[in-house]
Amino acid sequence: MPIPLRDRLSKKESSVWNNQLIINPEEWIKITAPSGTGKTTLMNMLYSIRTDYDGVIILDGINIKNISVDELAGIRQSKMSVIFQDLRLFSHLTAYENIDLKRVLQTPFYEAEKINEMAEILGISNILSQKAGICSYGEQQRICIIRALVQPFNWLIMDEPFSHLDNNNKALAAKLIAFECKKRKAALIITDLDDDDLFTYSRKLVL
Amino acid sequence: MSQLNLILKKIIGDGIGRTNKITALVGLSVAIFLLLTSIQLQINYHNLLNNKNNKDSIANFLVINKILTDATLGKTAIEDSIIKDIQQQPFTESVGELTPSKFKASIESNSSRFPFYTDISFESVPKDFIDVQGTNWYWNEQSPYVPIIIPTLFLDFYNFQFSLSQNLPQLTPDIIKMIVFKVSIHLKTGLVSYNAKIVGFSDRISSMIVPQEFMNWGNHQFSTDTTNTVSRLIIRTKDPGSPLLSEYLKKHQLTTDADKTRFSKYRKVVDTVVFIAGITGGLLLVFALLVFTLFIQITIASCKDEITLLIVLGTSPKQLSNFLIKRFFPINIWLVAGAIIAISFLQYFLHEFLKIQHIYIDKMISGYTFGIAGLILLLIWWVNMRSIKRYIYQ
Repeated sequence: MPIPLRDRLSKKESSVWNNQLIINPEEWIKITAPSGTGKTTLMNMLYSIRTDYDGVIILDGINIKNISVDELAGIRQSKMSVIFQDLRLFSHLTAYENIDLKRVLQTPFYEAEKINEMAEILGISNILSQKAGICSYGEQQRICIIRALVQPFNWLIMDEPFSHLDNNNKALAAKLIAFECKKRKAALIITDLDDDDLFTYSRKLVL
Repeated sequence: MSQLNLILKKIIGDGIGRTNKITALVGLSVAIFLLLTSIQLQINYHNLLNNKNNKDSIANFLVINKILTDATLGKTAIEDSIIKDIQQQPFTESVGELTPSKFKASIESNSSRFPFYTDISFESVPKDFIDVQGTNWYWNEQSPYVPIIIPTLFLDFYNFQFSLSQNLPQLTPDIIKMIVFKVSIHLKTGLVSYNAKIVGFSDRISSMIVPQEFMNWGNHQFSTDTTNTVSRLIIRTKDPGSPLLSEYLKKHQLTTDADKTRFSKYRKVVDTVVFIAGITGGLLLVFALLVFTLFIQITIASCKDEITLLIVLGTSPKQLSNFLIKRFFPINIWLVAGAIIAISFLQYFLHEFLKIQHIYIDKMISGYTFGIAGLILLLIWWVNMRSIKRYIYQ
């Protein structure tokens, strides 16, 4: 339970807050909730950006609050990937450089050509050499999706990853994400405002 | 450069403008240059005092004897206990005894073109205290002549006074060295004569000196006085201006050449200048390190958001530290290398300049300067690493 939201969230029914939630490897989980109910907060807690919460988050038997910054970096490089709702791109880098940064942070999981291949699938090949800051939100969101998929991971955390995409692009992106998760036998946790069937979910939870 | 570092270079900018960066680098270059220069100066100064080549010309030699008063008339011998005590004093590097001749002697010219005669006496001093280099300073009964060193003052006296009043030719040092003199020892039974040559001119000892072997032999052969009393000592000291030394001399009623103690005042000025140079160098090092810490701090502060995002995306602090150290540190190697090259040139020119004045310093800069340059680099690396880690792990 996030401390700043404790009063508000404790009054509501939730399958996550004030509960023990176990997410198994290869499990695909959808978390649906209206705005302001802590979706992003939960994602940030799972990704260890926020530590102001009661309770514990155990990853591979280790309380993630207790790990060092270097160990956390290792987890983010090879075990856990993320798609932020607020995108978080370097606006003065090109789309390609934003993606490539995540690819080369560790021993590359993919060759550089894979970026072009994924960009082709998501329809953003033409903006790869463009600065991310001048791309549309839809393009930026697809850059973020590819950025999350070029690294090795066992866990993929996505916070409203399709909020700026039309249905056609949503489907293309979901197909690519599903393919990459299956390839890695990775678990997937996605939050959104509404229910959907873009993925074959193991469980659907309400926050 | 790796692909990661190329991208990181684009993300983490300089943080400060180009002009500011150039100004800071110039400041840093001057700091490193001055620091290493002051160290090299210290080493040069130390070498001037202690190198064998310079020792004789720079180190201080004092001839000491008892103060002659009504009370000490006829009692000028310096006791063995005092000699031993002087050897133990902190201002003493070494002590030599001056042996006077105990026989009556005269010296005259063999040449009719240069008629010259005078009664003389000799002294001898241990070889290490003689400031005339490159002479065969030795005598035995088979030697063709007795080598003699005279004070430079005697030559000046001859050339600028005596020769003019006696209508004699003026003589250069080289000509004097070619003249064979006759040294006669006056005995009750008559004269014993030896050939003698002046082999050098001393600025240090104010008497005519002959090799110790000749003196020992002569005193034994021609004198009935078998006592071995010492009236004059020569001591080598690093600091003739030492208050300890003057107090000691005063306490034991000894005296020495006041001019030489005056020279020590100039040495004290040099000491002070070198000391100030060292302090300035130290302060400059601190300044240089502060500049670098600020450099890093400003760069990290100006890219705080980018660095935060990099860490959120999974960049490890170690990767960032490595990148930043590669970014900031190599310039120091170039600055230190540049300073070493500049100081090497200066050292060479200083060597050539001082050589003309018979002051000898090394042509090359000292290994210590290189070593200290290495230590400075190590220190800068440590300070950089510490600053980077401090701000990154924040």
